[in-house]
Amino acid sequence: MTEEMTLDNLSKMAAQAGLKLPDDELEKLLPGVNRARKQADELRQFLSDATEPAAIFTALRVNKV
Amino acid sequence: MTADHLCYLTITETAAGLRRKEFSPVELTKACLARIEAIDGKLHSFITLTADLALQKAEQAEQELHAGKDRGPLHGIPIALKDLYATKGVRTTCHSAVLEDWIPDHDAAAVNRLQEAGAILLGKLGMHEFAFGGPSVDAPFPAVRNPWNTAHIPGGSSSGSGAALAAGLCYGALGSDTGGSIRTPSSHCGIVGIKPTYGRVSRDGVVPLSWSLDHAGPMARSVEDCAILLQAIAGYDSKDPASANVAVPDFHDRLPDGIKGLRVGVPRAHWFDENKGTDPETEAVFDNALKTLESLGAVIVEIDGKAFSIARKANQTILVCEAYAYHEKTLQATPMKFGSSVRRRMLEAAFLSAADYITAQRARSVLNDQIRANFSRVDVFATPSAPRPPEAFATMDPNEQNLRPNFTNPFNLTGLPAISVPCGFTPGNLPVGLQIAARPFDEATCFRVACAYEQTTEWYKRRPPV
Repeated sequence: MTEEMTLDNLSKMAAQAGLKLPDDELEKLLPGVNRARKQADELRQFLSDATEPAAIFTALRVNKV
Repeated sequence: MTADHLCYLTITETAAGLRRKEFSPVELTKACLARIEAIDGKLHSFITLTADLALQKAEQAEQELHAGKDRGPLHGIPIALKDLYATKGVRTTCHSAVLEDWIPDHDAAAVNRLQEAGAILLGKLGMHEFAFGGPSVDAPFPAVRNPWNTAHIPGGSSSGSGAALAAGLCYGALGSDTGGSIRTPSSHCGIVGIKPTYGRVSRDGVVPLSWSLDHAGPMARSVEDCAILLQAIAGYDSKDPASANVAVPDFHDRLPDGIKGLRVGVPRAHWFDENKGTDPETEAVFDNALKTLESLGAVIVEIDGKAFSIARKANQTILVCEAYAYHEKTLQATPMKFGSSVRRRMLEAAFLSAADYITAQRARSVLNDQIRANFSRVDVFATPSAPRPPEAFATMDPNEQNLRPNFTNPFNLTGLPAISVPCGFTPGNLPVGLQIAARPFDEATCFRVACAYEQTTEWYKRRPPV
C-alpha cells in the first residue's frame, strides 16, 4: 500500500523532477497527487504474475522517427 | 430557402443540393461565415477563422463540380477542426498559451484526407486546453459555451466541435477522444459523434494527449453525416505507428439494415451505481431509449458492469502518465503557461512511479479481456453518453471535470468503437446522448444502431435557441 504523500515530500520530489513550483501551487497539487497514487494502487489487486502490460514492443513495427 | 435553413442542412442534403445547383459551395461558405459572424460571439466555438482560404477553396470546388470533377459527398462542404489537428500555414493552438503562435508546416493525415475529399476548412475550433482538464477558464481564448444554454458548458474536450455543429456554423467537424472527448460534447450539444476503433483513423499530426488512448474521429448533425466523414478519414497510414491495416467497409451500406434481433448489453450492475451523481433525469431518458431500441426488435441484456467501472481508473492513470511524459519539458520550463486545470492534472504523474504506469497497462490487459468476453452474449453495449447533463459555468469546478465518473473511459481503454447519438432532453431542455459501443473495427454496427434509433425518434432535428 502506497503511503500518503506529505507536502514536504512533494516539494522534495518536485525539485528532483526538475519542477519549479511555488508553495501554494504544491499545496493545491497535493490532494490530486494522493488521489492519483491511491487510484494506481487500487489497480494492483486485479493483476496476476502472468499479466503483461497492454503496450508491448513489437519487433516488426517500424516507427517514424 | 432561408440562410438558417441552409446552414442546418445535413451533409447528405447539402451534397444533393449542390449537385442540383440549388446553391453553390461559395454560397454555402458565405452563409456559414455570416452565421459565425452573427452568433459565435456568444459561443466562442472558433479560435481561428480561415475565411479567405475557405472562399478560395469554395471557388475551386465550384469550378471542379461545374467541370464534372466530383470528389464525392464532402466536395464543397464547409467543415471545421478541433484546434489540435495540425494545419499547414494555419495557427494550431491546442487552446493553450504554450502553442499560442504555432503555425505548423504540415497537415494532419486526417486533414489531408478531408482536403482530398474536397471539404472546405472554415477554421479551427476551441477545446479544452491540450484536450485535457476542464473548460479553459484561464487560457488565452475564452471557454466555449453551449448553444442550448450559453450559461452551461458544452462538454469537452472537443467543445468547439460540438457547439459549432449544434449552432449550424459548419456541416461537419473533427474531434479527438482520449477519455470521452468526442462523445461527451456530442451528448451535451445534441449532435452525433463517433470515437472509432483505436487504429482506424490516423493520429499523425494530431497533437498527442496520451498516445495509447488518443482517437481521432468525426462529429456531425446526423448519423449518416458522421459515417460520410469517417469514410473519408479512415484507413491505414504508415505515419501512425498505431494505425491498423484493416479494410475499411462502406459505412453507408448497412445503415438501413435495422436492429431486429440485435443483443444490446447494458452494464448497469456495479457501474451505474458507482456513478454517484448520475442524474435521474438522464437515466430516465436512457431507459426510454432502451425501450425504443426494444421496440425496433433489439433484445436488451443486463450485464455486469464491474470491469467497465474499474476501467476508468486504469484509463486515468495511463492518461496522466503519458500526458506528463509528452509535456514534461514545458512543465519544467514554463509550468504557469498551462491553465491551472490541465497543469495540475498533468503534474500528478510526476509523483507516480514507473510501476504505477505499468500496473495500469497490465490492468488494461485484464479489463480488456473481461469487457470483450461479454461479446459472447451481446452484440453491442449501451449506456448514457454522460451521467449528467452539461453543468452551468457558475457552479462548475474545472479542476474536477476529468475526475467525475463517466461512461466513456472504458472504450478508450479497450479501443472499441463507440458512438453518441441524441436520445432526448432533460426538463431543462439540455440534450442527453445514448452511447453505443461495438466490437473492434465494427463501426458499421455503431452506425446501424444509432441510425435506426435516430430515424425513429428524430431528436437530432431539434435546434438550439441561438
